[in-house]
Amino acid sequence: MMWHIAPALPGLVALSLVPTPASAMVQEYHVDLAADNVVRFVSDAPIEDFDGVTDRIDGYVLLGQSVLSETVGGSDTKFYFEVDLASIDTGIGLRNRHMRDNYLEVNEYPYATYGGVIESVVQTAPDGYRVTASGTFSIHGRERPMEIPCDITTRSEGYRTRCSFHVLLTDFDIKIPRVMFLKIADEIQLELDFSLAPAANTPGGRQ
Amino acid sequence: MRRQTVGAVGALLVPLAISAQEPTAQWQRRTGPTQVPVTVFHSPQSANLPTAETLRGGEFQFEISHRFVPPISNGADDLWGLDGPVVNRLGLAYGLVDRAMLTFQRSNLDDNWDLNLKIRVYEANAAGLRFMTAALAGAALNTGLPDRDTFASRNFQYYGMLVVNAMVGEHLALGVAPAYLQNPLVEADSTDHAFSVGLYGQVYVTTQLSFLAEWNLSQARETLEHDAVTFGFELETGGHFFKLLLTNSTRMNPAQFLGGTPYQLKPEEWRLGFNITRLLRF
Repeated sequence: MMWHIAPALPGLVALSLVPTPASAMVQEYHVDLAADNVVRFVSDAPIEDFDGVTDRIDGYVLLGQSVLSETVGGSDTKFYFEVDLASIDTGIGLRNRHMRDNYLEVNEYPYATYGGVIESVVQTAPDGYRVTASGTFSIHGRERPMEIPCDITTRSEGYRTRCSFHVLLTDFDIKIPRVMFLKIADEIQLELDFSLAPAANTPGGRQ
Repeated sequence: MRRQTVGAVGALLVPLAISAQEPTAQWQRRTGPTQVPVTVFHSPQSANLPTAETLRGGEFQFEISHRFVPPISNGADDLWGLDGPVVNRLGLAYGLVDRAMLTFQRSNLDDNWDLNLKIRVYEANAAGLRFMTAALAGAALNTGLPDRDTFASRNFQYYGMLVVNAMVGEHLALGVAPAYLQNPLVEADSTDHAFSVGLYGQVYVTTQLSFLAEWNLSQARETLEHDAVTFGFELETGGHFFKLLLTNSTRMNPAQFLGGTPYQLKPEEWRLGFNITRLLRF
């Protein structure tokens, strides 16, 4: 078959060397670790409400374009985020230990992760977007496909991302002892609020 | 012509194939997971003896504890001791910082008001052994003694303890707490000095249920001839410790149990008791 393609080789080489508009503008954004990032979970059980907070979120987004717009989405996008579960603080040391050891088992499963692609982007304001992400959410060694909506606003350098969604602990095989069922809800509200900055060595990135 | 067509189609498809490849990121994890703090005993105290564990800075711990005075051996007539009377203790502890906690507590036995400071000195997790040490010092004032001024010097007691804890395997925590107590017999006319060694252990059957035992080896002295011994089990939730106890001592505050107990270590002298603590943050 090579002899069929051979006459076209110069053209192929030339075309492959010319970057397509998309690949030329791929921008990678990383979580800005210097920003005020907050990951919070809220448990609203019959006799006790409490929340847990951490700033230990990290990860990246590949937009497929230089900036966010309604044309972003699909397989040329990619994201991955992870939260350091052992860093979550519920305000009470004993409860932190129970959460780490009894429920999340962080020695074995230290991170909650979410990775996938951007499904759609809708502009909601001059500097605001509603982004629907589609991917796999993982915690406690169990994975589930999830679609998560996030509101994203532009900032001087990058974006501010706010997401809010629910997970069921039982979906991730996190068992609550019967003695605790009045104090820990099965449905946990998760709220993320973090900043993304252009990655170094990508167009517009920090050097 | 055919060759040129194949070439042209190939030229068109190659960039599409390139752009269809999954994009790759340069991101790499920048920090490792948070190190989990060392834990030996889960609670800041066993039944009476302190562990090396402390509250976190800013945490409060409220305690209510009872020791039922009638022994279980009194039987159904006294509802195995639960009819009372009881020795009651109320306590409030506060985490000054992550390594230091202040406890203020009162037992109605002699109206013993107690204030102590515990400092977690050192902890390590090396070669599979979890290890924690603390130092504790405190003072007590007994205001319920008859025929004595409230603030008479003989009403004061002072004490200090060293606490060494170690986790053996994943389920057994052990502790030793040598202690000094000045003025163990507040009713007496002269000051005495008492030395004791507290030994205790706790078997964590699950992360929430455990069995505990403690034995305070003390010098025998008039009215406090015997060692204070306690057995029990502990249930812990995210903010509570519940301890149900069997003991030969109704003396709960450190300046009391460190001196010993008047009750023998015999089945006829066992009494029921409980400790309930609640952790709070405002």
